[in-house]
Amino acid sequence: MTTKPAAAVQTRSSKTNFRQRTAFLRYLVVIVACLLIIFPFYWMVITSLKQPASIGSWPPKLWGFHVTWSSYAQDFIHYTFGNYIFNSVLVAVVSTILILILGSLAGYAIARLPIRGKPFLLIATLVISLFPEIAVVSPLYVIFRQLHWLNSYQALIIPYTAFNLPFAIWIMNNYFLGIPKELEESARMDGASTGTILIKIILPLAVPGMFTAGIFSFVAAWTEFLMALTFNSQNTMRTIPVGIALFGSQFTIPYGNIFSASVVAVVPIIVLVLVFQRWVVSGLTAGAVKG
Amino acid sequence: MKRTALRSALSLGGGIVLAAAMSSGLAATANIVWAASPIANVGLRAKLVQMFEATYPNIHVTMVSQPTNTNTNRATLVTEISSGSSTPDVFMGDVIWPAQFGADGLALPLNKYLPSSFFSRFAPGLVAGATYKGSVYGAPFFMDAGFLYYRKDLLAKAHLPVPKTWAQLKSEAQTLQSKHMVKYGFVWEGNSYEGLTCNWMEYLTDAGGSVFNKSGSKATMDSPAAVKALTFMKSLITSGVSPAAEVTFQEPQAMSTFQAGNSAFLRNWDYAYAASQSKGSKVIGKVGVAPLPTFNAANYPGYSNIGGWNLYINPHSKNIKADLTFISWMTGVKAQTTMATFASEIPSNYAVQKNAKVRALNPVLRIVSTVRLIARPSQTPQYPKISAAIYHNINAALAGSMSVSQALKTANSQIQQALNPNAL
Amino acid sequence: MREASKPARPFSLERGYARTGYGMLAPALIVIALVTLFPILYSIWMSFNKVALTSSGIHYHFNGLANYGLIFQYGPFWYSLIFTVLYAIITVAVELVLGMLLALVMNYPIRGRGVAMAIMLIPWSLITVISAEMWGYIYNGTYGLLDYLFIHLGLTSQNIVWLGHPNLAIMSIMVADVWKTTPFVALILLAGLQLISPDLYEAAAIDGATSWTIFWKITVPLLTNSLLLSVLFRMLQAFGLFDLPFVLTGGGPGTSTRSIAMLVWDVMFRDFQFGPGAGIAVLTVLVTTVMAVVFIRSFGSDLIGGGKKS
Repeated sequence: MTTKPAAAVQTRSSKTNFRQRTAFLRYLVVIVACLLIIFPFYWMVITSLKQPASIGSWPPKLWGFHVTWSSYAQDFIHYTFGNYIFNSVLVAVVSTILILILGSLAGYAIARLPIRGKPFLLIATLVISLFPEIAVVSPLYVIFRQLHWLNSYQALIIPYTAFNLPFAIWIMNNYFLGIPKELEESARMDGASTGTILIKIILPLAVPGMFTAGIFSFVAAWTEFLMALTFNSQNTMRTIPVGIALFGSQFTIPYGNIFSASVVAVVPIIVLVLVFQRWVVSGLTAGAVKG
Repeated sequence: MKRTALRSALSLGGGIVLAAAMSSGLAATANIVWAASPIANVGLRAKLVQMFEATYPNIHVTMVSQPTNTNTNRATLVTEISSGSSTPDVFMGDVIWPAQFGADGLALPLNKYLPSSFFSRFAPGLVAGATYKGSVYGAPFFMDAGFLYYRKDLLAKAHLPVPKTWAQLKSEAQTLQSKHMVKYGFVWEGNSYEGLTCNWMEYLTDAGGSVFNKSGSKATMDSPAAVKALTFMKSLITSGVSPAAEVTFQEPQAMSTFQAGNSAFLRNWDYAYAASQSKGSKVIGKVGVAPLPTFNAANYPGYSNIGGWNLYINPHSKNIKADLTFISWMTGVKAQTTMATFASEIPSNYAVQKNAKVRALNPVLRIVSTVRLIARPSQTPQYPKISAAIYHNINAALAGSMSVSQALKTANSQIQQALNPNAL
Repeated sequence: MREASKPARPFSLERGYARTGYGMLAPALIVIALVTLFPILYSIWMSFNKVALTSSGIHYHFNGLANYGLIFQYGPFWYSLIFTVLYAIITVAVELVLGMLLALVMNYPIRGRGVAMAIMLIPWSLITVISAEMWGYIYNGTYGLLDYLFIHLGLTSQNIVWLGHPNLAIMSIMVADVWKTTPFVALILLAGLQLISPDLYEAAAIDGATSWTIFWKITVPLLTNSLLLSVLFRMLQAFGLFDLPFVLTGGGPGTSTRSIAMLVWDVMFRDFQFGPGAGIAVLTVLVTTVMAVVFIRSFGSDLIGGGKKS
């Protein structure tokens, strides 16, 4: 008779043990992953703080070296890096907004509305987005030259929007598909228009998807090199990746300059993620969608 | 609108007229765009432009900075010029581009616009290097050459002379290494890229070999001379004189190793002297420079590969007169002297190169005129493919994924194939 | 019009939705088409021509399938193609496993999740060329950090030349790629996981299902679309592999790490053979499209069917 409660106690305690253990494992995985991820980046940061001529020293110093901020100062004074940042922010922000608006509309239409030829549309956009950039840059250059678009913001915003839209459409389509149809149907019963449904019901639920699409588009625009290099050759119109490629000279890799510039260039993304991360993981967790 | 005004202001005359106008100091009024990748000293380009504009107030030069990676640089220039763009008007391009750019209409034949007397200002061999099928496509701007850098302090301590032969270099390096005076003996450029072709040409030519025959019809790299050259290069790595990582080295890695005090010898271009004496370097005041060694002491010095950059004119430029004025000034005494004094570049202008004041600037400039130069076989538009056939296979042999004879056979057949302009 | 539509109301409603749908789709499609259609058609056309650059402009001479004939006989093309396909499959498989693990862990409201997410997105948001330079420095065989760590931990006594042997170089490039892109896979999967109602897990747990069963019976089936999406897009991106080998190895040792995109670059911008270069680009797109369609057909008709099945 005494065994039964004991067994119950035992299972309960083993269950909490199990819970604790999985919680521990969870933290362990996150911490290990973060360390592995951050370590090379740490190396990059400290290299940007070292004297350029100490690059080849052995053993490499992970701490306790002479810190100098001269690379950072050079980036901004010598190389007009501030200007490159401004251009990158402008191009990346505008193209991301455009992508999110156009991509959400198109993604919703494909996921929910009775349109013909959906598979074809999706595959076609896919093919477009995977066409090698190397092959399309030259013809685009010719077009933009005719349009007098070289050295302009639209010369980057529009191609970035076009080439990254397919992914946004796919991801939004996927996300809308995952949102229960019942929500919209009941709204439709109440006489809501497609626009109202999209703005009032669907989009708030689709925020994690939009975040993913948005971060993808932003980073793609933020790091794109070949088009930015080819279309905008004036120094005042250069973006960060191109600006960095002009650092140093033929026979040198100016680690200090390129790494310090990259560290600076990563900051906006980190801020963006820290600001918006709540949206990713709070979209549906509160049990907004039950059943 | 400005463009059309300029265009009408600039009626393009015949070459002789232009040449005459130029030599008499008459300059057009124009806005020209000069595309140039960064030269070792960052401020040099802007300084030269500023000086030029002071001399020719009617010509405004906009400098477009090109990427430091030569291949990326070439890709943007091809995209722009082949599409018929009139800018950049003048561009700085590698010394190995004349045949390819000339054959593909991407550069203007300068000798149609400039008198032959113009070209006599350059150091010997440079104009020939910029010539393809009788036309000169580039005006030599500055040159690079391969040198042997050595640690004065280590050689003195071990009572060793500056090596004159490759075998001597190797044994001296081994001596220094065995005495634990230095970690590596000799670092150079062995990665799978253009720089390896440069290194290879120095050994190959010195051993008596060539890449293809005079008429450019037959590949000749599967030769005993080539075997000798490659076997020696490989022995540098297998003997531990050069680090195993040599096969991944380009100039920056070789430089960093030497700069950190970890190698007794370095093969690098002329910029390396100034770089080795820069702030934070561990070998300040300990570096000497000499011509490269040879296989046979009687032939000393060995060969130095020619690198460097030319100035080219875009054939679609609408300001050819101003372009020529610019090029002429940039290769003239004033600009070239500035380049040497301000940035320690080797001037292409022979008078400046030989000038005693310039020679006194640093040890590299002092010995430039004593080295024996060898150009890469870039007199054919197929050169990029030929060079790739060289560095892909030589690198594979150095890395040990191919035998010496196998690598040379493969390289030879690929070069043979590349000599056919219709092959892929 | 209004009267006529009256008897068949659901039908006209359907049609109205369709019209709205086309209206919503149009802006995106127009932007895409305006920018991409001409360059793509131009590339395809160029692949059937002998393209000659001259000082009077580009000359095209139609030569049918000659470029493709050249490409098919060109050994390096086949090597690069196979290398790229295998590279894509292996890296994406690794990324998927690691990304899934991260996503599952991050799906719980753990402390510091926001910071962890920001950290994870650092590699993704680095400019690829720069992260390649960083890895090049880490992998350096005489003064690299990795060799230092290996020697320090007693794993090896001599410097390892990470980029100096074909297989090691391929693996090193893969590690750099996995480091950079796994977090993004995790993010897509995490967004997908957020769509799965916690109630389902609760119910399964009450029924006594193990975590393993829950994962395979609930999580994976409900995550199919996100999994498919991440695999598809990472595959296609991996197919475009360029920056990493361009910076790290230049395609070497020999040509062992020359990806198909690098080959296109070499043929077009190094050798100026624009016809064959365009041909290789077109062939690559064909191969990837076929792979993608087969992949979608066999795993995820739901995603592409636009929810017809649900």
